[in-house]
Amino acid sequence: MSLARRAARPPAAAQHADPARTLAFLADLSQAFAVSLDLRKTLPEALNRVADFMQAEGASLFLLEPATRVLECRICVGPVDMTGVRLAIGQGVVGLAVADNATQLVADAANDPRVWRAGDEGSGFVTKSLLCAPLATAAGPIGAIELVNRRDGQPFGAEDAEMLRLIAAPTALAINNARMANDLVEQQRMKREFDLARKLQKSLLPKRRRGLFPVLGVNLPAHEISGDFYDYFELADGRIGFVIGDISGKGLDAALLMIRAASLLRWAGKDGIAPGAWLARANDELCETTHDGRFVCALVGYCDRDANAVQIAGAGFPPVLTYKRGAFSEYASGGPPLGIMAGIAYEQHEIALNGGALYAFSDGATDVRNADGSRLGSDGVRTLIARHATQAPDARLRGLLSDLKHLKLVDDTTLLLIEKPRAHGAQVLLEHHMPARAEHLREMRNALRKLLDQLGIEPALRDRLVLAVDEACTNIIRHAYGAEGHGGIGLRVSRADDVLSFELTDDAPCVDPTRMKPKPLGECRAGGLGIALIDTVMDTWHVEPASSKCGNRLILRKRIEDKGFS
Amino acid sequence: MSGIESENVDGAVLIRLSGEVDLSWSQQVRHAVLAALESNPVVGVELSQVSYIDSSGIAALVEGFQTARARGSRFALVSVSDAVRAVLELARLDRVFLIVADRAAMLG
Repeated sequence: MSLARRAARPPAAAQHADPARTLAFLADLSQAFAVSLDLRKTLPEALNRVADFMQAEGASLFLLEPATRVLECRICVGPVDMTGVRLAIGQGVVGLAVADNATQLVADAANDPRVWRAGDEGSGFVTKSLLCAPLATAAGPIGAIELVNRRDGQPFGAEDAEMLRLIAAPTALAINNARMANDLVEQQRMKREFDLARKLQKSLLPKRRRGLFPVLGVNLPAHEISGDFYDYFELADGRIGFVIGDISGKGLDAALLMIRAASLLRWAGKDGIAPGAWLARANDELCETTHDGRFVCALVGYCDRDANAVQIAGAGFPPVLTYKRGAFSEYASGGPPLGIMAGIAYEQHEIALNGGALYAFSDGATDVRNADGSRLGSDGVRTLIARHATQAPDARLRGLLSDLKHLKLVDDTTLLLIEKPRAHGAQVLLEHHMPARAEHLREMRNALRKLLDQLGIEPALRDRLVLAVDEACTNIIRHAYGAEGHGGIGLRVSRADDVLSFELTDDAPCVDPTRMKPKPLGECRAGGLGIALIDTVMDTWHVEPASSKCGNRLILRKRIEDKGFS
Repeated sequence: MSGIESENVDGAVLIRLSGEVDLSWSQQVRHAVLAALESNPVVGVELSQVSYIDSSGIAALVEGFQTARARGSRFALVSVSDAVRAVLELARLDRVFLIVADRAAMLG
């Protein structure tokens, strides 16, 4: 009886009724998907194998477009080409499989209301039986796989349905993996483009001028790329032109417009024309090409090298603040932003700064949020400026930025400071003299530790600095003076901006600097560790002959970050 | 208050250093360490009271470490103060020495 039944079974069912064959087929299918992430290659081949294994006349694969939520037939094997057919979710057997996330079995297609019949029309093909399984993922179905007509003429059965469900699982997984891989590639491409835009932007910011210069700028992007920019340049007549700007909008196209606007504004100001005319020229030029609703807020101007007289003109830029002897003045922009309407005249201001400071800041500064969520506003910025007013320009801008950073940045923030430059020479903080003998090292360390504490340098860094200077003195005692030598060591600590210098002077015979080489740290040996420690702790160090005919000067330098000083 | 004290503990020697170890007396530390290793299979240097150590002090410890290794003796740094640990880390020697929490651990 059982033999007779088995013999009577149609060959299609026999194919996958054998568990060993089924497992082998599923393994082959998974492996075929694993070989390549290129679905255009793997999917048609896989679908052919599925149709053969299931002994179906035709097979098709529908994928759900994430954006439109429409199912589209991407691949099809068999007598009727369904490729490109589009179905709504819920439409036809395929649409139902996705809508219900459940396998659909149609034994008698001619009399089943679920069947969407347009496929048969005009093709001469008769759909007799259908089987469709959703491509299920954790995030819901992403499509469906459909079989048409068993080759033996029998309707699809429950066993076939179970088999197709098993096949759909690795297929869904493969498609999902390939999509995620594609997303990753796309993200990487976008990151590369952003990196490029950021590099371009950075390259446009002017190099900081050495020596005395009246213009100082700083830019703090809220995101990876900035819509803000600043620029300054010297004219042939000795004046200095400056620009600060802010592009409306965010993202890559704002960044690209910024690059264009920055170049354009520099070009328009190179001739030294009056600031109002400068803006008008840049505006006309921008209006010819900028039509996508974006615009540029900018402030341009000139000052002399002592920043006594300043001329400015603004285009939709926040008011400029001047701070002179404790009092603020405000100068509003003389016209609308650039790039909106051609032919506009911009009003300009002549400001006698005479020792005061002029601050121009993009609206990022006033848009900064206070702890309670309110905007910092112009008054808030005034408070910050007054708080840092006594500091040197560099330190002041850093202080302002650090205050703004503590508040929440919602926009790019750019500051431009114009002020008569003053010589901020190195300030001597400590002079200490000691006999070049080991028993005096401790006094030196105590004096140095006390000074560093007064400067508010955090203890870990303080201890490292003390160690490095102590090692330098030890070296002078042991190697420069040697066993018989006697003399003194002078230590002078000075500070220029954020750099601490430790200068050690001796009267010993000149040392050969090439012999002072740091040994690699971590090597377990007794000698040569001192210089390696100095080298690790300090940013730079070097030895030079002292001014007299003998003697050496060893100079150690360390830049102290903002947080290093209290 | 810099100083060296030695103490015999169950057949081992514990050298207790205190204060600021620098060039002015690191040679004494070196001699004490080498002398202890001369006649003891286990030597520890207790550093909890050391508030400063320079490279000459570290060098004395390195020499102790090397001598002990050559003899197959045990050489440990015992309850290392933060100041000493910071310098060992800076010199990247913190993983070279056997560093133990207390004298019981020193005995192994």
